[in-house]
Amino acid sequence: MDGLISRTVQKHRPLSVHFDLTYRCNERCVHCYLDHDDHGELTTAECLKVLEDLARSGTLFLTFSGGEIFLRPDLYEILAAARRLHFDISLKSNALLVTAERAARLREFGVRRVQISVYSDVPAIHDAITKVPGSLERTLAAIPILLEHGLQVKLACPLMQENLMAYRGVMALAEKLGVPYILDLTITPMMDGSSGPLEHRASVSSLLPVLRDPVLHACKPQPSSAAASTMDALPSTFGSAVSSGIESAAYEDLPCSAGHNSCYISPYGDVFPCVQLPQAAGNLRREKFEDIWYHAPQLERLRAIRESQLPICSQCEIRSYCERCPGLALMEGGDMLGAYERACALAEEKAKLAGVSAPISALHLKQNTALVLATVEAEFASLATDSSSD
Amino acid sequence: MSTPASMTWQKNPALAWREIDDETVIISPNDSVMHELNDTGSFLWKNIDGKKSAAELAELLAENYEVTPDVALSDTQALLEEMSSRKLVVTVPATGGVSP
Repeated sequence: MDGLISRTVQKHRPLSVHFDLTYRCNERCVHCYLDHDDHGELTTAECLKVLEDLARSGTLFLTFSGGEIFLRPDLYEILAAARRLHFDISLKSNALLVTAERAARLREFGVRRVQISVYSDVPAIHDAITKVPGSLERTLAAIPILLEHGLQVKLACPLMQENLMAYRGVMALAEKLGVPYILDLTITPMMDGSSGPLEHRASVSSLLPVLRDPVLHACKPQPSSAAASTMDALPSTFGSAVSSGIESAAYEDLPCSAGHNSCYISPYGDVFPCVQLPQAAGNLRREKFEDIWYHAPQLERLRAIRESQLPICSQCEIRSYCERCPGLALMEGGDMLGAYERACALAEEKAKLAGVSAPISALHLKQNTALVLATVEAEFASLATDSSSD
Repeated sequence: MSTPASMTWQKNPALAWREIDDETVIISPNDSVMHELNDTGSFLWKNIDGKKSAAELAELLAENYEVTPDVALSDTQALLEEMSSRKLVVTVPATGGVSP
């Protein structure tokens, strides 16, 4: 996997693409960053054209998401085309509309994995987040159906104020079902930049019990149980378990994979480096994917960023504990190259947990220094005023 | 025992795969295992179409790469057998269709 990641990062091949087919949804999750009205989704023909462009450009891993993808009446037509073009297909869904017939069709069209959002194993908590009574029961009922049809299932649990301590229940649920899970502390602003969802974000101090939970450190979920193996033919071929690859050394001095070998496409054809980096690089109704991917100035600027050259973060002594995201840096701090409060605070807490004595981020160090300087200047000014008045 | 050189091969239709810069990446969806083929492996993969036999694939390999026909056949058969054991390719029976 590392070799593939390195090659695609070096040559900027769009290996992984997240394609939202609709923003319409049958849930109304309190923390959702999407506007659920339909502002002119790509037609079936336009979607198929996008898939052809992606296949030609070298995309292998394709994730269809939304909104709720089952609300696209042409979903199977799109999946059939993706299958013909040999993509590795994953879906993200709330699974409310899954039936045995639909699961069989997903399998028929080569879908490998379905990621399902589960906010708690307690119906009252889950349903209060989705605002759909009975939604947990329906979602959980869908999981065995998907598994019985040979689809892999992964639970995704974004943690926020409303379900912060529900993660252990979700972990137990995943274990009982025999599926992997992912806990996500990221709650982002709306894609238009408005901050509504952030009202639901757990404060850094309230996250401390989660960060300290030894269960989370002892039990790292794996995306696949497949064993890696090697084969020796003509002359180097190998098999390995598919993972996200995000931990690859190929990203060492890069903020992440966004714009390097992955991107996001909205239901309206806008191409973004990532769903969390809402700076459109172009629109597929007006331009070819290849022209956007290889020539958009927004992507070229993003590709030039090196973590070691970031104005503040490159000086930070606790960088290795930080999960800085350039998209969140832009949305929360106004500067894709900048530091932002939440990442710094979380990095400090993680460093403390790792035993670092009095860790302080470069941003906070700079703020403290500025504060001290301002205090000293104020004192000098005060002294000067006093002496002149004497 | 190796499969006869006259046997015709085809890709397992259940696979996801992509050729990226002359190398081919294949994912088997049942076990999520990724396989990568190098330049020559990718050349053969592209030509596995359910119509060509191992001998015909080897002939193409010898024409396009600097290998003798004997080496090309031996390498082609070895790769096909290895890929077959991993269910990446399947033989096509003389009557048509796919043999398991």
